Formats: sequence, C-alpha cells, structure tokens
Amino acid sequence: MTATAHPLRQKYTRSHIKRTTTCPGCGIGTVSQAILRAIDELQLDIDDFIFVSGIGCSAWIPSPFYNADTLHTTHGRPVAFATGVKLGLPDKHVMVVSGDGDLTAIGGNHLIHAARRNINLTVVLVNNGIYGMTGGQTAPTTPRGIKTVTSPYGAMEHDFDISPMIVAAGASYVARWTTNHPRQMTRSIKKGIQKKGFALLEAVSQCPVQYGRASKLGGAVDMLKHYKENSIRINKAREMDEAELQGKIIVGEFIDREKAELSEQWVQLRCEMMEDR
Amino acid sequence: MSKVTIFSQACKGVDDCGICAYVCPEQLFEACREMNESGYYPPEIKDPDKCTGCLNCMICCPDYAIVVEKDENRPVDKQGAHDAAK
Amino acid sequence: MGNWACTEGAIAAGCNFVAGYPITPASEIANLLAARLPKVDGTFLQTEDEISAICSAIGASWAGCKAMTVTSGPGISLMQENIGFAVATETPLVIVDVQRFGPSTGVPSVGLAGDIVQVARGSHGDYQIIALCPESPQEMFDLMIRAFNLAEKYRVPVFLMADGFMGHMREQIVIPKKDQIKLKYRKIAEPAKTVLERQDFLDVDVAPMPVFGRRLKAHVTSSCHDEHGMRNLTDPEVMHRYAMHPIEKILSHRDDIVQVQDDCEDKTIALVSCGTVSRSAGAAAKMAQREGLNVGTLRLLTCWPFPDKEIRAVAERVNHMLVLENNTGQLYPYIKAEAAHACRVSFLGPQTLGQIHDPRYILGRIKEIIQ
Repeated sequence: MTATAHPLRQKYTRSHIKRTTTCPGCGIGTVSQAILRAIDELQLDIDDFIFVSGIGCSAWIPSPFYNADTLHTTHGRPVAFATGVKLGLPDKHVMVVSGDGDLTAIGGNHLIHAARRNINLTVVLVNNGIYGMTGGQTAPTTPRGIKTVTSPYGAMEHDFDISPMIVAAGASYVARWTTNHPRQMTRSIKKGIQKKGFALLEAVSQCPVQYGRASKLGGAVDMLKHYKENSIRINKAREMDEAELQGKIIVGEFIDREKAELSEQWVQLRCEMMEDR
Repeated sequence: MSKVTIFSQACKGVDDCGICAYVCPEQLFEACREMNESGYYPPEIKDPDKCTGCLNCMICCPDYAIVVEKDENRPVDKQGAHDAAK
Repeated sequence: MGNWACTEGAIAAGCNFVAGYPITPASEIANLLAARLPKVDGTFLQTEDEISAICSAIGASWAGCKAMTVTSGPGISLMQENIGFAVATETPLVIVDVQRFGPSTGVPSVGLAGDIVQVARGSHGDYQIIALCPESPQEMFDLMIRAFNLAEKYRVPVFLMADGFMGHMREQIVIPKKDQIKLKYRKIAEPAKTVLERQDFLDVDVAPMPVFGRRLKAHVTSSCHDEHGMRNLTDPEVMHRYAMHPIEKILSHRDDIVQVQDDCEDKTIALVSCGTVSRSAGAAAKMAQREGLNVGTLRLLTCWPFPDKEIRAVAERVNHMLVLENNTGQLYPYIKAEAAHACRVSFLGPQTLGQIHDPRYILGRIKEIIQ
C-alpha cells in the first residue's frame, strides 16, 4: 500500500493546510520535521503542547501548520508570551519556535531573562544568519564582512555567539546543531522538552535565497556541504585555539545542568500559601 | 527492499532544492523530466531496489515530500553517510 | 489608599495572574499583589520590562487566567504594540494605568490625566477598548471588579484610568462580602475536530474563546484572520471584518458598557469631568449652587467607548458645557464635537498643570461664563 502522506504530517499537522510556506531548499522544513519527530519519539500528546512563535520565516514552523494550540505573537516577544502561558499552565509543554532576528535582536532581552529565570520553556531558535522574510537585512548573527541589503559595504558589526551567551544567562540546557544533523537535533529537542528548566536548541539552518546569495555560499546543497565541512563537535573545539576555530560552527551540547525552575516553584508556593490559610 | 514514495506536487525541485539527492548515500535521486504544478522538477528514483532504507531523504526533506517504508528484513544504515559527526 | 483598594478589587474580582514592572506611582499595586496572590492561588511575575509584562499577561489570559498588568504613562507607551495584539486576538485583559505628569519622565509622583487619548488611540490602526475612570479609592475597588467582568464578557483589554492623586489618596472603603460580588468568566469554545468547525473570533456578540490546554487546538494570530483564527491577507471581505468586528463588538454593546453620573437635571451649566478632577468639579458645583447658580455635573465613569449619547443628551438640555480635565484637553475635542451643535462648550485645565483644579478657580470661570 502506498503511503498517502508523510506520517508526521498526517499525525500532527492541520489537514486543510496544503502547502509549506518556505523557499525551495530552506532548512526550516528540516527543523520542523525534527521537532515533530522529537514529540513522536517521546510519545507525547501534541495537545499537551502550546507552541508560541514570533514574526519571521521560522515562526511559521508551528503556526498555522501544527495541529495544536498555537500562538503567533508580535515580533520579538514569543518568549515573553510563552512565560505567561507556562505560568498559567505549568503542566503543559510550552515550546517557542522562532528565528535569530526575532529572538536575539528585538527579543534579546526576553530570551536572556527567560534563561536567567530558568522558566521551563523549550526554545528552538532557528539561526539562518539573516532577516529572511523582510528581504535579507543584516541580523545580529550575520558574520562581519557579509554584504546584505542593509550593509551594502559589508557588515561592520560583530555577530552573536548565541549558545554560549544563553549558557551564561543561566539556561539549564543548551545545544546547537545544523540542518545537516537532523537526528542529533531531534535528540537534543527531546532532551530540551524533558528538561525541567530553560532549554535552548540553536538550529543553524540554510537560507539559500537571502543568506546564500549575500554570503555567496550558494544554494541549499552548497550550504549543507558548508555546514558539514565546518562543524566541529564541542569537545573537540575545546582543544582548539581561536585561530583554528575561525569560521567554524561549534555543535553539540553546551550545558546540561539542574537548577530550580520557576513555574514549579510557583506551584509549590501557591500550595504552601493555600495550606496556611 | 524499501518503498520510497515521492509526493511530486509538494516537492520544490531537484535544481532549486535538491537536498534529498545530496543526503542519499546511494545517490538514487534524479530530476524528473516533467514539471509539477508549481513549476519545479521533482526527483524520481531510477533504481528503487538499491534503497537501503536509511531514511535520510525522508528526515531531511523540508517539504515532507518523501516517505520511506522500510523493509524489516534488510539491515539499515541508521546514520547514513551524511551526518557531519566527526 | 487608592492603590491598596485597587489591589483588593483585583483579588475580589478573581484575578490570578499579574505581571508588572516597577514604576511610580503604580508600584504599590504590584508590591501588594506580590504578597496577596499566592494566598489566593495566583501568580505574580516581575518582568524585565513593561513589554514583557503585557505579553506575559496576554499569554496567561490565553492559558485561562484572569490576567492583569499595572503601570503608568511611560509603561503604557511601551505596551502599545501589544495592546493592539490583545484587541486583535480578543484577549480578556485588565490594564491599570496610574497616570503621571509628562511628557516623558516628567514628575513620577504627580498625577495628570495624560493617557486619556493614548489608551484609545496609541496603538496603530482603528480599534475600540474600554476605559473606566474612578474618582475615589472606593471606586478603585468597585471599578476593578467591573473592569474584570467587562474584560471577560467582551474579550477586550479594559483600562482602569487612575492617577498619582487617586493612587495615593486615603479614604475608607467598604468591601462587600464575597458572595455579594458577581463575577464573570469568558465563554469557552466547544471542542471540535478541526479549527474550521468552530468560530473563535470576530463575532460582534463575542465568540467563545478557545483557551489553551483544553485540546481545542486553538490558532491565535494577530495577523488579519477570519472567524476561525486562520490568517487571510487576500480576501477584502475578511480584511474588513477583521478590523470592523472588534469595533462593532464594543460599539454595539455600548449601552451596557458606558456609565455616567448625570446631575444636570434642570441646570444651565454642566461641569463635565472624569476621574480625580470630578472631586473638584463636584465641590465647585456645590459652591455655585449655594450662591444660587444653576450648575450641575456630568461625571464620566467610562471615557471609552466614548459616551457620545450621554453627552449629547446633556448638551441639548444646558446652555454651556465646561469641560474640566487635568491636562491640556484630551477628551475635550471629542466632547466638543458631540455637543457643540446644541450648546457652548469650553475647556478649563488646572490653574497649574500637575495640580488638581481648585474649586474656587472653577467657580471663577463659571461666573465669567454666566456674564
């Protein structure tokens, strides 16, 4: 019997949505699959999830596609909205899926504080190094020298190294993978979902139309080759010096620790206070 | 032998995307000669018997356009040749 | 103290989620709620900024909480984009604005009715919200309950327009017994297999809300959407309904929402005011009446939706409407537009901006008008 649809699509997405919204070769779809596969392998009910996303191409991963509670917020704010959702529904899984511009530029402050608070959110940050949806503007993740529509003489600013930044902010679990590592990505997303604390999954993903052109890296396959050739596992990277790491993408788990989580503490406090009455 | 189904209308083309062709360790994907409704040339598999059921294409396709139904009897290369694990 | 009465009002209304950022002269409300909320099964979040405060309050409302945020003028300015989000997604929400002297940092601890227009027109686009104006700590309590009930009934952000004077004013209040307080909670959507089988938005009689976490598979977006919540940027009919229905939702029920206190029966001059200024207006009217002058008051307990009918009705009875506001005239143009066909309309700000009108100052102007 021939399959009529991709099993993840059949099980977890809204049937009336016929088309994917991404450009040909965009890595967003690979990340989208990695997330659904994680939920499927954990055998979790997608109705126990609330997906919160901002504005940008990556924010279209869960919204409107996933057949679950989805909240599509204003630009940069999904983490703030998600914090309220989680505190209101502490027993549900709250997942934020959004891009690097949304989460580290306009939304940077919310991301840092959510990590500091260690609120139990799983944040899938799709990092394509550019503002794709609005036509290819420089992002905080665009490497210095790249010519984009807003840095036509070459980007002069330095770019963020997101994962270590969020480790420093206090997150319980941080991992980075590229779209060339979809299985590892799924594994880390599973860990993030199960982690009692703030979990960040930085998914480096190819944007062939905007970033591929601006950086002259080429199309989807060229960019995947680039990821393959330049990814260094974090254990190995620790033994290398700065010069060797120039232009490399460090992948793997950056931190995995236990610390008091916010929504759980609130459940506890309310319990104690109500008992005292 | 694994069964590969390609949803041609969902595909964004071997030339414009081509991720399946890149991740297949057996290099089984080739562009069709017929355009789909959206104007892309989806892939086809000339030698379906050679599919090892590694699932790379199914996992990586951004458009959920490929389904691989594994043959339980045949040993499977789970990692595929294209994970950048070093 | 007014801010304390506001806190008790929120608790009595069943509020169980508050997100806030410290700002004078509103901070006491958040401080008090931080202590009270866990005892009533509620949660308090001090956010990193006001934008996060309103966003997390909206998120909590979608999680099923009766959510609220509290701030002052500068905070409302920061919240504007997401006030629009709450309107577009029809989110029940209460926002307490303890207004202060501006523009900009201004004088944090001095009251000024600086946000009257801002709360209604500060976000981009055309929309309707509800704004209530207390004139006493007792009303800070009572109108908080009304605010939550209206928010739940109409799935809209409701503002409580206090100010620095009202927040720090000390008067006795009466808190009714719990069983004497009637509370509303939003209607929840029916379960269905697909989102297209329900109507979750854009009903002028208020669609049931697909609250999260109840297997309703809600789709909530502030993009232009249809009645199922699905984004649609191409159909002009959908665009029209997306903008118009939330407006019609409020305006078609304005008789239920608008409240005024009309003490202008058989009067020739009406002192029109809302909030703190009403104390001075009331005092001035009494002084005038003692001198045999035919002066009454029209107090607006609701400034939005705009009490057009009520103002027109009074305008057609009196010779002159004197609009008193503790600012340079924010509601005045709207009142004038509604009343000028029937009577003369003029404006009197306080003798010094940032001070409450001295009733004798108002009386002086009344006498000038009469001449």
